[in-house]
Formats: sequence, structure tokens, C-alpha cells
Amino acid sequence: MSAISELSHLKVSKARTPEEKAARRKENSRDNKAGYLFLLPWLVGLVVITIGPMIASLYLSFTDYSLIQAPQWSGVDNYVRMLEDDRLHNSLRVTFVYVFVSVPLQLVVALAIALLLNEGMKGLSFYRSIFYLPSMLGGSVAIALLWRQLFGTDGLVNQVLRLLGVDATIGWIADPGYALWTIILLHVWTFGSPMVIFLAGLRQIPSMYYEAASVDGASRWSRFVKITLPLLSPIIFFNLVLQVIGAFQSFTQAFVVSNGTGGPSDSTMFYTLYLYLRGFGQFQMGYAAAMAWLLVVIVGALTAVNFLLSKYWVFYDD
Amino acid sequence: MAKGKQMGLSRRQLLIGAGLAGAAGMTGLTACGGSGSGGGSDDGSAALTFTWWGNEVRNANTTEAIEAYTKANPGVTIEPQPGEWNSYWDRLATQTAGNTSPDIIQMDMAYISEYGDRGALLDLEEHGIDTSKFLPGTVDSGRIDGTLYGVNAGINTPILMANPELFEKAGMDMPDDTTWTWDDLMEIAAEVAKGADLDFGASSVFSADSMFSAFLRQNGKELFTPEGLGFEVADATAWFDMMMRFFEAGAIGTAAQISEESTKTLDQSTLAVGTGAMQVYWSNQVEAVNNASGKEMALLRFPSTTGKATDRKAWYKASMLWSVSSRTEEPEAAVALINWWMNSTESGMINLAERGIQPNTEVQAAIEGELSPAQQAVSKFISDIEPELAATPIAPLPGGGTLGAVMFRYQTEVLFGRTSTADAAQGFVDEVTSNLTV
Repeated sequence: MSAISELSHLKVSKARTPEEKAARRKENSRDNKAGYLFLLPWLVGLVVITIGPMIASLYLSFTDYSLIQAPQWSGVDNYVRMLEDDRLHNSLRVTFVYVFVSVPLQLVVALAIALLLNEGMKGLSFYRSIFYLPSMLGGSVAIALLWRQLFGTDGLVNQVLRLLGVDATIGWIADPGYALWTIILLHVWTFGSPMVIFLAGLRQIPSMYYEAASVDGASRWSRFVKITLPLLSPIIFFNLVLQVIGAFQSFTQAFVVSNGTGGPSDSTMFYTLYLYLRGFGQFQMGYAAAMAWLLVVIVGALTAVNFLLSKYWVFYDD
Repeated sequence: MAKGKQMGLSRRQLLIGAGLAGAAGMTGLTACGGSGSGGGSDDGSAALTFTWWGNEVRNANTTEAIEAYTKANPGVTIEPQPGEWNSYWDRLATQTAGNTSPDIIQMDMAYISEYGDRGALLDLEEHGIDTSKFLPGTVDSGRIDGTLYGVNAGINTPILMANPELFEKAGMDMPDDTTWTWDDLMEIAAEVAKGADLDFGASSVFSADSMFSAFLRQNGKELFTPEGLGFEVADATAWFDMMMRFFEAGAIGTAAQISEESTKTLDQSTLAVGTGAMQVYWSNQVEAVNNASGKEMALLRFPSTTGKATDRKAWYKASMLWSVSSRTEEPEAAVALINWWMNSTESGMINLAERGIQPNTEVQAAIEGELSPAQQAVSKFISDIEPELAATPIAPLPGGGTLGAVMFRYQTEVLFGRTSTADAAQGFVDEVTSNLTV
């Protein structure tokens, strides 16, 4: 029992008479007031910036709203139209491919680099910063623009390939067969934040487990599989949930790389990009609001599945 | 509860009143300082907001013109809201939704019916707009179902720009644009691409909705009629088939090159960097392309089906328009500013041909000598093609502003061999039709 709880316990035991009890109640409520006061900025933000707009968007999703004219109630029309919208289905396919390929790949790379850095090499903080750098830049417009240059028909990637003797004429960004993969690569490259979290997790694993295992003659591989992975599984789970949610909301990379079109021929049309084009490009804000709610449902469902599955593979030490 | 609300409101009204009084006092002060050079339309004070998208040159011109106007009309204050094309429309839509739309809006043909049809723009003729000196055929661009929602801010016409040096390099004469047909264009483009070792003989020919419009008009159709789409699947198929003939002849580059070209800015375009000999543009872009490439581009008419330039159904387009928000509190003052902007030599001298050739013929004549050689060439081209003009196409219907983007998506599918021209044309027509909200 900590010192503070012991103190409050003392206090409770002291307050015996009705007067004392009343005084304590008063003090408590003053404490609560102070608490709420400190909470206020966040609470106001939550209500005004998050909950309010969410309710408004839920309402708008049942209307025909062009932004220019007042919204008109249209019932579930928007949701029914979504069933028949081929471009929406394509955008879902593109987004799912993106999430299911880029997230696991990124986590594997992040874990591999974290394991390397955890070997106690010299200049760790330097390398950690270097590897973290892409995460700070990856979501930025500048890097997405750079990506467009690198993977152009006459970009650096093709030039290097040509130096190696490959007849590289593929327009990586221009060809609908490859464009999405360049964006996936961009996402994997920004492995820094899960890497840092992995690194922190690796530091938490007591070294005595490894010592005991090596005494028993366990190989590096079995130490990794039997000790590192189980003890790191809560961290992997945490990264997985966050990255899945984040990947579904990716927008900037596709927007910039495709010049805001989702092209070539919708091959990089992420769900969020399509939502944006519907709302602001075609003045269908009601439809865009309905799309946003479908995204909430999808991400919510996937997160729930993630939590359900976690019972089978996430191991909590305590 | 209701009472308290009322009290709050009245207090706010009081504050607004005080603010207005203060503002009035301030405009009074500036009026005293302005030495009263005698602005003609000064019949009271007005506070206007003014938004446009542009580039550095245009921002400088526009700011200078606004200053000149407020100096001549001391009662008017103008709050400039410059923007950049990509974010401009998001902001304007949001402002319109939030009832804070700027009073004077630089409008584009692609969006004018979107806003006009939905009641967001003012009927300019009702508030005294003056277009009496405009070149015939230049006013109707901004007219939707008989209502004038926007005034032509500069005349444009679709052209093919060509790099004479590359034709020379290929050992070819410049094409005769008064007699060429689409087939001639294909052969010449293929020949120059081969002769001068270029990626593109001609670029942006098929992705440009202006060229599709020209092709349709020459075949008796239009992109849009007031009732809806002005063409059928068969017309789109014919357009896509022609694209494939150009493609197979090596006249318009490879699929990847075409796809990549579509994402590039003017500075990186094929004509600007010298990887193509011809490219479709609007006439007001000549100077920008010349600057970017360091070359002097030739202006060519787009081809016709018959080989006669007078049959090519050319048209003047408003490069952009001036519109006024229907919710403005100062409709007269806003229209007065536009009248000055379009009809005074003073404004013409400041703006020159940056927004396109001045539609007011008197202003254009007065500033002709001030124009750069490139702008003078455009001005001459614009007047030369007058006998070739046909009726002005109507503005895209609401939801139709994205036609070009939809068309290009289906063209990309065809170019990469993912679908047939007929299927792509069907998909294209279906999608554009379903986008139209009429």
C-alpha cells in the first residue's frame, strides 16, 4: 500500500463525528470541482471539436447536402447508393489491400530494426534518430512529391535499374499495376514510430530469461520465438491496433502521389480520398458523411476483431 | 430561458453596432485623407471581400488593381482573399456553406453552374453590370438558363502549341493549321516524334475535354445541352478509337508516359521540358509555357474533320469569370467594382492579358501596345479566328465539372489494355450521366 493511500485511510478513520463528515464531503466536492476545472479544456474540446461535429455528420449522412444549399432529409438514400457505387467498392478494395499488406510489412521491418538496435551497439541514439526520421517526414507532402519523382518513368529508381543493366521503362507511379505498391513502400519506409515502441518493449524484457535460456543451450532462434515474441506480444498488439486504424485513415500520400485524382485509373483511390472527392469535388457532402460513418463502422469492427483474436496470441506477463 | 437568449442577442447586436460605428468612423477618416480625387460611383461606403486563385504575377496585379480602386473610391474597403487553385474550391464551398462567402468571387467555367444553379450567385444583369463593349460571343459563357452569373474576365480559346525548333530538328515544315484534319495531326505528330526523337508527337490531345468538345461539335454534338449530356456512347467510342489509332501510330507517347504526363504541372509539361513537339493548351497559357521552356511556341488551330478551318467550330471560352455572392449585402458596390475592373483602361493597364485577352474591345485596343510579344500574338490569334467561331458551348451542368477527369480515367484503362474502347465509352457515359444532378 502506498504512502498516499495510507494517509487517506488515516483521514477516513479519523472522520467520525457528523461535523467532520460534512467537512470532508465539502472538501471532496471541492476536489472534484478542481478536477473538473482542470478537465475542462479537454472536455470542451471533446464536445465542441469531436462530439458535436460527429453528431452533425451523422445527421448529414441522412441528407442530401451540396454545401451550397441547406441539407435536405433523404433518409437512408446515401447508404443505399453506396451499395451500388462501383468506385466506392474499388476504393474499399484498394484500401484493404493497402492496410493488409503495408501494416504487417511495416511491423516486421520495425521489429527487425528494433532487434538490431537492441544488440547494444555503439551510437544507438544516433541510429535510432536516423531510422525514426522517415516517420516524421513520411506523411508530409514534400516526401510524397519526392516519391513521385523517384518512381517516375525517368526517375532515380529506373535510372539505378538501368545502371544495373535492367531495361527499366516501367512508370511505377503511372502504371495502374504498380502505383499502389509505391505508396505501400512509402508507408513501410515510415516504420519509425512502431520501431521506437518495440525498442522500449524489448528493453522491458528481463535479461535473466535470456541468461537462463542460454544456460539451457537454447539457440538464438528459439530464444526469439520462446521469450522475445511472447513477452513482446502486448506491444505488437498495441502497434497493430494503432497502425491498422492509422492506415485506414491514410490520405496525404495517395492525394499527393496521384495529384489528388486517385489515379492512374483509380488504382490509388483510397477510401478517404474518394470520400474527399465526393464531398468537396462533387459537392455531395451528405454522401461523404455517410461514407465517413461506414469507415467508422469498418475500423470499429476490425479493431473489435483484433481485440477478440488477441486472446489467442497476446501474452500478459503479470 | 428565451428571455435570457434575447438579452444575449441584443447585447451582441449592441456590440456589432458599436463595431460598425467604429468602422464607419475609420472609413470617415480615410475619406478625409484621400483628398477626394472624385471616384465616379462613390455613393456610399461599402466593405467588400474579394477572392481569387492565381500565381505570383496575378496576385501582384490584383492587389495593385484593388488599391487603385479603393483609392479612387475612398468609401469602399476591400478585403483581399487570395488563394491557390487546389485549395480554393474547398475553401469557397466551406465558406458558402457557412454563410461567409466572399462578395466578389473569381469563378471558373467548371463550377459556375454548380454555384449558379444552387442560388449561390447573384444575377448580375439585375444589378447593373455593363458588358456593352464586350466582343460578341464573350458574354454568354457566364449565362446559365438565361441568367448572367459571371462576367468573362479574359478570353481564351483552346489551341495546340508547337515548338518550331523541334519541327526544324525533324526536318519538317510547320503544319498548315488552316487545312489540317485529325488524320493529318496524327501523321505529323508521329513523324515529328520519330524525326526529332521525342517521347510525344502531341500530348494532352485526348485527355483534354476541350478537344473532345471540338470533336463532338464538328460532328454536330456538344459536351452538354441544357437537358443533359450532349453526346452518346457511340461518340465517345469514336473518340477513344481515334485515340487508339494515334497511340498505335506512335503519335502520343506510351501508356505510362501519358498517365504520368497528366499529373505534371505546366512547368514540367512535355512542351516545357522539350520531350514533346505539340500540346493542347488554352491560349492564355502561351506566355507561361514560353517562360517555362525559354522557347517561343507557335499557336496552332486545332484540326477539323473536313480540312477547313472555318468548319472547326471554334469558340471563345472565359478563362475565368467574375461572380458575386447572392448573399452579399452590397450587390451594387460589388457589381460597380466588376464594371470598373472590366471596362476601365486603368484596370486594363494593370491587369493586361494575365487573365486572358480583355473582352472589352476598347480596353483591349488601349492596352495593346503594353502587351508582351507573346500576348500580342495571342491577341492577334483571338481576332484572326473570329470567322471560325460557332455557338459558345454552355457551361458544364452541375456535377459535370469532372467530365474531363472521368474521361481520362477510362482512357487510361484503354491505353493500358485493360478494357475495350466500347466498354470504356459505355462506362464513361454512364458515370458522367449519374454524376449530373439534373
